Amino acid sequence: MLSRSALSLALTASLTLSAAGATAADLVIAGRDGIYGQALEATVARYKDTHPDMDIELLKLPYGSLYEKLVISLREKSGAYDLVLLDDTWATEFMGNGWLANLEEQGKITGDFIGATLDISRYPVAQGPAYSLPIVGNVAMFAYNQALFDQYGLSKPANWDAVKVAAKTISAKNPDTSGVVFRGQKGNPIVTGFLPLFWAHGGVIVDDSGQPQVNSTQGVQALESFLELKQYAPKGIEVYNSTEVRDAIQQRKAAIAIEVWPSWAPSMDDPSQSKVVQEMQVMAAPGQVNGSSPMLGVWQMGVTADAKHDKAARDFLDYLTSAENQKTLALELGLPPTRRSVYTDKDVVAKYRWYPNQLEALEHGKARPRIKQWNEVESILGDYLQLAMIGQMDARTALDQANRKIDRALKR
Amino acid sequence: MLFRSRLQLLLLMSPATLLLAMLTLYPISQILINAFSYVDYVGAERQFVGLDNFVELSEDWFFAGAIKNSLSFSVLASLLQVGLGLALAVLFDRQFAGRRFALPVIIYPMMLSTLVCSAIWRAWYHYDFGFLNNALLSLGLEPVQWLFDPDMALFSVMLVDIWQWTPMAFLIILAGLQSIPADIKDAALTDGARGWRRFRHITLPLIMPQVLLALLLRSIDTFKLFDKVYALTGGGPGNSTETLSLFIYKQGFKFFNLGLASAAALLMLTIACALSAVYAWRYVGAKS
Amino acid sequence: MSAIKQTSVPVFSDSVAAPFSGVSRLSARTLGFYLALGAALTFFALPIVWMAGIAFTPSGEYVSDSLSLLPAHPTLAHFEALWRDGFPGRLANTLIVAVGATLLALSLGFLASYALVRFRFPRRLDHAFLLLVLVIKMMPPIVVAIPLFQLLKGLGLLDSKLGLILVYQVYTLPFCIWMLLSFVRDVPLSLEQAASLEGAGLLRRLWHIVLPLCGPGLAATFIFTLIMAWNEFLFALLYLSTPSHFTLPLYVSNFITENETFWGQLMGIGLLSSLPMLLMAGYVQRYLLRGFAMQMK
Repeated sequence: MLSRSALSLALTASLTLSAAGATAADLVIAGRDGIYGQALEATVARYKDTHPDMDIELLKLPYGSLYEKLVISLREKSGAYDLVLLDDTWATEFMGNGWLANLEEQGKITGDFIGATLDISRYPVAQGPAYSLPIVGNVAMFAYNQALFDQYGLSKPANWDAVKVAAKTISAKNPDTSGVVFRGQKGNPIVTGFLPLFWAHGGVIVDDSGQPQVNSTQGVQALESFLELKQYAPKGIEVYNSTEVRDAIQQRKAAIAIEVWPSWAPSMDDPSQSKVVQEMQVMAAPGQVNGSSPMLGVWQMGVTADAKHDKAARDFLDYLTSAENQKTLALELGLPPTRRSVYTDKDVVAKYRWYPNQLEALEHGKARPRIKQWNEVESILGDYLQLAMIGQMDARTALDQANRKIDRALKR
Repeated sequence: MLFRSRLQLLLLMSPATLLLAMLTLYPISQILINAFSYVDYVGAERQFVGLDNFVELSEDWFFAGAIKNSLSFSVLASLLQVGLGLALAVLFDRQFAGRRFALPVIIYPMMLSTLVCSAIWRAWYHYDFGFLNNALLSLGLEPVQWLFDPDMALFSVMLVDIWQWTPMAFLIILAGLQSIPADIKDAALTDGARGWRRFRHITLPLIMPQVLLALLLRSIDTFKLFDKVYALTGGGPGNSTETLSLFIYKQGFKFFNLGLASAAALLMLTIACALSAVYAWRYVGAKS
Repeated sequence: MSAIKQTSVPVFSDSVAAPFSGVSRLSARTLGFYLALGAALTFFALPIVWMAGIAFTPSGEYVSDSLSLLPAHPTLAHFEALWRDGFPGRLANTLIVAVGATLLALSLGFLASYALVRFRFPRRLDHAFLLLVLVIKMMPPIVVAIPLFQLLKGLGLLDSKLGLILVYQVYTLPFCIWMLLSFVRDVPLSLEQAASLEGAGLLRRLWHIVLPLCGPGLAATFIFTLIMAWNEFLFALLYLSTPSHFTLPLYVSNFITENETFWGQLMGIGLLSSLPMLLMAGYVQRYLLRGFAMQMK
């Protein structure tokens, strides 16, 4: 008997408790997990030193979840967030829909933001006013193991043909190490893994008139090179994502990584996690037909158009993007800055030997196409790249079919 | 007479009915409308397009693959889970030392967050560092391409689902076994029926409702398979583990093509109904 | 409920029930039984043991070619980090939401399934209801998520625990109704008829006869529903917006990032967040295993 009255009591109690109202915060920030979350958290903590009475709520979500949540919340005008962190590929959609506030109503953005990173904060791109500020100067880099290259008499690869030769040599001569590693998982990972090659070979996803062109001769050649590289990659590359790529590099199971993000680099030199301390060279990806075109993956932050705490949001954003804070975040966490002065700062360069290369890559950085349907285009391309990779289709067929489907998605 | 009062019936049924109606009438109507519309969710536009969405789906090679994968996964996984669960339940129907500690161990996997569960198995399936391949190598066997052999991947995902959800079938059937009144069991014993014959002719018919229930619930859940493929393979390699839920997720939540997603969901519901009709009918029918 | 009381109930087991079979056959059977049990326990427990091992393993040690399940240098660092990072608050949120959703679904579902089993419905509405409810359970959550968002927004229940408890009923309530059906059906009609002759009304019969006799079914249903609500991710992700209201599954997802998986903390949180359910299930199993229903009479 006792247990049944306990049950009814518990039901009443939990329903009552659950109805308790929400506390209102002074600023609500929607951000990412991982290093981005840590950086925001550290910034919030420092900001609170000067604003001790402020109650700041910080949301940390995985990539996909943040996108879903933001689109639905902003579209349904729930007014839940003041500041939102966004990937640069979402920018066209968010800004085009009027979900973000114009940051240049009161005057031009000043400061030494690297041109290529601030351009994609503008809508229309590079021309209109800024609707966000660049927070994380992410750019896809390329890394190779200098010690292994020296051992087999290889030199810094000048183009993708040289990368193929190096990968082949190392795979053939060293049974424990694969020549190359990249993210081969379906969807976003395989596409970002492939784009540096695709662009270097002269491939174009969507041309200036808005037509998809992934199946051009250059595109097919790029995919064929990619498939050739796969022969020198570890088994199971088809399901590799960042975690596996980093493990492979840090455990010296692979010699070259096509795609390395700046925030991965510090752990390569951390003896507690890595067997390749000081062995990796990090540089901009090589060119082929075209020069090197490093892919930008800039994280931006904008103030929402329906922000309840607009003024506080703008003030926090200024603090977050200040050179001083960027320097601290770079030194503490290895978060890549977006201001030129931080890249040339003595302390920062002393700590991260590849920063001059990273600055150069950012300045020549190339953004992914500025289209609203990028998610769908990327997913389609990812599906067919993988079909080619597991040998169900040849490069030409895969890209032809991808192109047809992308065309349909763009016309929707 | 007992059980004739309309008032009592109303009182018993209305809380659940009203709550479900409040929660689902609007969503269901939205699915039905969207399935026949072009929906620009973000731009808040909707346009009736007839059967266009279904035509587009029928031409989509990935969608066809998703139906095939979901169906074969559902049928095979639910049968295996219920078969194993039944065997386990029979084991646990007898008294043995430590039963109260063994039971929580067996049902523990289903309490794990799916994210954690998938992460464990993703680590175990790793070709180079994974626990399973390490074990195989130490036995002098060849490592297995758990997740990236297109013919193998769906079965690897299935193994994880079997690991996590066989306990559910087990628990349902065990609850059934434990509700068999003791006098019926005693009667069976005095009749001298034992072993396989007793199981086949006395026990199994008595727990048939629970076996059917387990089949029904497991086939619905396995047909909706999403989290595990999302975390383990992302639907790959190629389209070998693409499921209907994954397809709908991408259309609905990554591209926000709500029309296409709703049409796919409608087709999915139709297939799920057909799939479960067999069990559901016998189960509901048992009343009359 | 003590083990001694349980054994006083007739036991349905071969080793006891077959006193006349030969000794060798008996021991072979017992051996087979323990082999099967051992195999099952290994299969289900080994990944868990591995998970627990990683939870105590320092970061950086986990990638290895060895088969050892236990850390070389055990550490509590991951648990300390989780505790500092607001684990207790998330646990409290999850407890309230999951227990609330479970009890609500269980009570409404129990009433409905009782009516569906016992009462005569006009025009077979009972079958229609059951099938409709099943269809609801089959709906992929993704397509109902957006309309439900709009519904919750209209009710002013976004970002609240009550809102989450309500939307969980879309899946937990159909589940409870279907689960309890067969167990209610197993309650002998004669008991209720006898009680009714002695003047017991509907509520008294429900409370004193049907509820206790459905013990095993209710216990199993409780465990499943709790698990469903405890680990639900999508609705919690979309309908909660303030981090201090978050439930554990949202928190778990923080440790699998695009760039890196934080194995130690992930496995630590896996262990911690499942323990409360394990405790509850361990408590509830007394109703599940034979003995309880007999004691209630």
